[in-house]
Parts: sequence; structure tokens; C-alpha cells
Amino acid sequence: MDLTPNDDQIAFQTATADWCRDNMPLEQSRARPTGLWAEVEAMGWTAMTGAELGLDHATEALVFAELGRVLAPVALLSTAVAGRWTGVAGKVALALEAGSGVRLLDSEGATHALGLIDGAIGWFAIDDAVEAVDSLDLSSSIARIDRPAGVERIEDPRAAFHLQLLAAAFAVGCADAARDMAADYARVREQFQRPIGWFQAIKHMCADMAVRSAVARSQLYFAACALDEGDVELPFHVAAAKRLAEQSALENGGDNIQVHGGIGMTDEAYPHLCLKRAHLLKFVAPVEDAVLLAN
Amino acid sequence: MEISFSSEENHFREECRQWLEANVPSERRPHDAADAIDFDKAWQRRLFDAGWAGINWPTEYGGRGLSIVQQVIWLEEYAKAHAPWIGANFVGNNHGGPTLILNASDEQKAYHLPRILKGEAIWCQGFSEPGAGSDLAGIKTMGRVEDDEIVVNGSKIWTSFAHVADWQELVLRTEEGSQRQRGLSWAICDMHAPGITIRPIRKISGQTEFAQVFYDDVRIPIANVVGGLGNGWKIAMSTLSFERGTGFIAEQVKHGQRIEELIELARANGMIKDDRIAGSLAQMRAEVAAVRAMTYRNISEVVRLGQPGPEASVIRLFSAELGQRLERMGVLLRGGDILDFRYESGDEAVGDYLRGFAATIAGGSAQIQRDIIGERLLGLPKSR
Repeated sequence: MDLTPNDDQIAFQTATADWCRDNMPLEQSRARPTGLWAEVEAMGWTAMTGAELGLDHATEALVFAELGRVLAPVALLSTAVAGRWTGVAGKVALALEAGSGVRLLDSEGATHALGLIDGAIGWFAIDDAVEAVDSLDLSSSIARIDRPAGVERIEDPRAAFHLQLLAAAFAVGCADAARDMAADYARVREQFQRPIGWFQAIKHMCADMAVRSAVARSQLYFAACALDEGDVELPFHVAAAKRLAEQSALENGGDNIQVHGGIGMTDEAYPHLCLKRAHLLKFVAPVEDAVLLAN
Repeated sequence: MEISFSSEENHFREECRQWLEANVPSERRPHDAADAIDFDKAWQRRLFDAGWAGINWPTEYGGRGLSIVQQVIWLEEYAKAHAPWIGANFVGNNHGGPTLILNASDEQKAYHLPRILKGEAIWCQGFSEPGAGSDLAGIKTMGRVEDDEIVVNGSKIWTSFAHVADWQELVLRTEEGSQRQRGLSWAICDMHAPGITIRPIRKISGQTEFAQVFYDDVRIPIANVVGGLGNGWKIAMSTLSFERGTGFIAEQVKHGQRIEELIELARANGMIKDDRIAGSLAQMRAEVAAVRAMTYRNISEVVRLGQPGPEASVIRLFSAELGQRLERMGVLLRGGDILDFRYESGDEAVGDYLRGFAATIAGGSAQIQRDIIGERLLGLPKSR
């Protein structure tokens, strides 16, 4: 038993964070440069757990938390799952069930989409003429299509847990980003001749953000190991990780806006980007109470 | 990272399980501290004789010298087996003893540690005062140094098990006129010494587990000071950081048992059909799992780095508040039956609920913990 990253894992984590800082900062998330996806694919993050590299999900979860922190493109989730469990190469859009149809997220340049359809995880080809518009999450486009006819199901049950785990990792990163943004602002913004972080009303709100982040990250590590080790309680642990991560992303997202005050209400500032991403992630491999209560 | 235990650790777990299955007493721990003391001492002695006391304490002082991971395994199996709360032995095992291991002289360790493990010596804590709660550096209890003795005058409060204790970890001011953290000492006080008066205080749950202690010219040999005169703050902080780090593993482990009992109860009485109740139970089950993950992370850091990381204060806070929500759910699921609670009734669900309010007050209130997290983890400016 060891729930601290080893030296190799820390190296992957640090390398990801460094690359993101230089090439894919959160501040650019609503208008990523064209050609970014090709660079991202070249970094190998969507192929980490595939047959060729064969890395563990624990390392992958650490890396995806770093990617989530900069609100990296959401198709990384679907593409990484496709890379591990299907033969599909290239960008794979994220598919979310929407009543009688399907929403495709981040579909530019994608040939296929992957998601949970009718309670099972599967993938299908998409028409490149599909028209995408802006979505609530300003980092991702959205396209509404009819329910696809030819969905290929992925038989291995681990694929759905993989998607849920990566979505949890993204949410953990998103919650961390909101926490850090709030704490950074509370250290420098002054009112009543003091940094607002001096006041316990603000300090304790930031502390609660740190608690949520730490809780969610801990369960993420446990769930990633459960997937690697084929733990008998795998469905529960991944669901718990996803539930806690999406909640921490949502609540930290809201609190970050509150700590920023008026500036947090502006389109120009960044806090709303985390909140909006959190709402999107809630719909990726959503968690049912029944799974959390199952024996 | 991995969550599997080694085969040696799994073997150890099996040993724990088998012994507990055969030895956990069938009678319940008595309700009141005065009656419970014999029970607590006897149980501690039984644990010691079978080699289950001080699992990660040094062997030369009666411990087993095993790893902190094995200590966690023991506590997990202990909770699963519904073994009794260690009660009056809590302070010796979880504060006093660990502080001595870290800071005391060989003589002090050789005398006290085996007595704690054997259940022969009950310890209590003497930190808080009527005027120094969260503001611990406001301590006023004074120890005048006279030759090789300290003469103590003042008062301590919220001292759990004071009236059954043999020894106290006492933090007092030994330099006249010193301010705040300076001039404090950490001493081992004999609770049977002349000049000590104990006024038991009844809790909201009915037990008289804690007390106010008065010191009237109480004489403590200077040889009982741990870590040298004037170093009390540093020594006290080593206890508190321990408490915030690994001292509450037993509490964190216990939540795992509690949530399963609550789900079972809600299924049995049908209340689980209420979506709000099912939702809250599902939520808390996820949170209990996360507390285990955090505890494992914390333990892994202790193994890797020799001490708990800064996130230890996060676990302490989150686990304490989760425990309170679990107990509140326990009471909610009982419906109107809780109204039949009397101090003498021994109704554990209500008793645990009421006693549980202490979890966010004792050992650093939730508000102080949030200050620590904001300041040490997030680098926000110090409020005090």
C-alpha cells in the first residue's frame, strides 16, 4: 500500500504541468490555437494506457488531473478511452446522451465519437459536416445530432470505469484550478487596508476549497489503483471518485467567483471558465446513487 | 501507487482478525467513566498481554516495533470487530505516549511507556484553561521553580478522565512574566499529588468524562519536565501535530463501520426509499471511502518522509465533520425514539451524536483548523 506518487509518476506529472503552462494555459482555453490538438496527440497523453506504452491508470490519472487544471480539450477524455479500448486512431469527440439525440463535444477534426449510449459505452463514426456551435463550457463546441445507428459497443466493462476515472481526474484538476485562483486573488486583493485572505470569512471559504480538493484527489488515487489492480470494489471506488471530484469542481467553481467579487462576474475574468467546465464534467459518465449504495 | 497490501501485511491482518474474533468482550463498555475505568484497564492489559498494545511503539518500552501500516491494519480490524473504545487509555496511547517517544529522556520513557501499554497508568491532558481555549498560548497556570521542584498554581479545564487519571501532560508557565509561547514547559504531573482538586463536569450526553482541575501549591519534580524548561510550546505542538496527523486514525477507521450500519438501518426501516436519505447516505459512503484514501495517503507520506504532510490538518477537519454528519443521520433514522433518551439510558446512538459535537472543538476547533489550512496550505496572511 502506497498512495503517494513514485518518482516516475512525479516526473510525468511535472512534465505535463510544465508543458501545459508553456503551451496550453487555462487563460487560452476558450480560444485554443489551431494545431494544438496535433501537439497534444504528439505528447502521448491519449495513448498512455494503450498497448504500446502500457502505463498504469494511476500515472494517467495524475497526468489528467494536470490537464484538467488548465481546462484542456474535453476530447482528450474520449480519445484516451478510445485509444485504450478500440482500434480507432486520431481524435475522438465526446458523446453525451441527450434525450432522443446525442450531444457531441469538441468534435472539430474528429472522425468518431465515444460515450455512454443506452447505458453502455460505445463509439461511432461522425459526419465531418456536422455543425458545431459554442457551448456553456466556452472551451468546447457542441453539436446536436440524431441518435447514431451504428454504435459499436465496447465489451470490456473496464472501459466505462476508465472514462469515469478520467472525467474525475479532469474535475480534480478543475477544482484545484479554482482553489488556486481564489487563494492567489485573496492574497493580493485588498479591502479595508488588508488582503481579503486575512479575513476569516474569506480564509475559511478558501480552506473549504482546499479540503474538497484534497478529499477528491485522495479518492481519485484510490480509484485509479483499484482500476489497475482489478479491485473487487472497483465500480464503487470509481463512482465515489467521480462524485466527489465533480462536486468539488462545482463548489470550488462557485466559491472562486464569490472570492473574486465583482470581477468574478465578468466574462473577461477566468473564474467562470472553471465553473462552466465543472457543469460539463458532471454529465460525463454520471454517477448513480445506487452504485454508491450497492453491496 | 498501489492499494494492495504485501503478503506479510495480509498475514498480519489475518492474525488480528482471528485474535479479535476470539477475544472481543461480549459485554458492553460501561456507560460512565467511573464504572468504565476497571473495564478499560482490564481490556488494555489483555491487549498488551496478547501483543496488540503499542504496535508501532519501540520494543524496548514494551511496544511491538512494527510499522505504522500494521498499526492501521490493526485499527481497521479493530473497528470491523466492534472492539470497545479504548476510553480512559486514549490520552496515554494517543497523545502522552507518542509525545514521550518523540521528546522524553530514556528514564522518563522507561518508567512511563510500559505502564501506559499495560493499562497500569491512566493519563489525562492539561492544556486548555478557562481563559485559554483555542488561544492556547494564553496559558496562565504558573509553575514557580524552587530548587529541584516546580510549585504549580492555577487551573485546567475540559480534562477528559481527570478523576481516574494517574498522570497528566501539563503545559504551564515556568517563567514569571513570560508572554505567549515563550516560557512554557511540558511536565508530567502526578494526579495523586497533594494540592490537586478535581471538579468533574457533566457532558451534554450525561457522562462526567471531563473535569476542571485546580492546582494549589502542587509540587512537581523538575525531573518530570519533558524536553527541558521553557520548551513547552515546541513539545505541545509535537503532540498536536501528531493528533492532527495520525492520532485520529481510529476515529477515521470507525466511520467505515458506522456508514454500513446506517445503510443497513435505513434499509431495515424503509427510510432508504426517501431519495434525500438515500442520496445523503450515498454521498457519505463516498466521503468515508475518501477519508480512508486520505488516511492511506497520509500514512504513505509518514512512511516515505518520516512525518505527516501538511494535508494532515485537512483529514482531521474533514473526518471530524463527516463523523458529525454520520451521527446526525443516525439520529434522524431513529425517528421519535430519540426522545426517550435519558442520561442513564445508555442509548448509544444519541450518546454518540451528542458526544460527537466535541470532534470539532477538542484538539483545535474546526475554525482554528480552517485558519491553519488557509495559512499553511494556501499561504493566506496570518489572522492572529
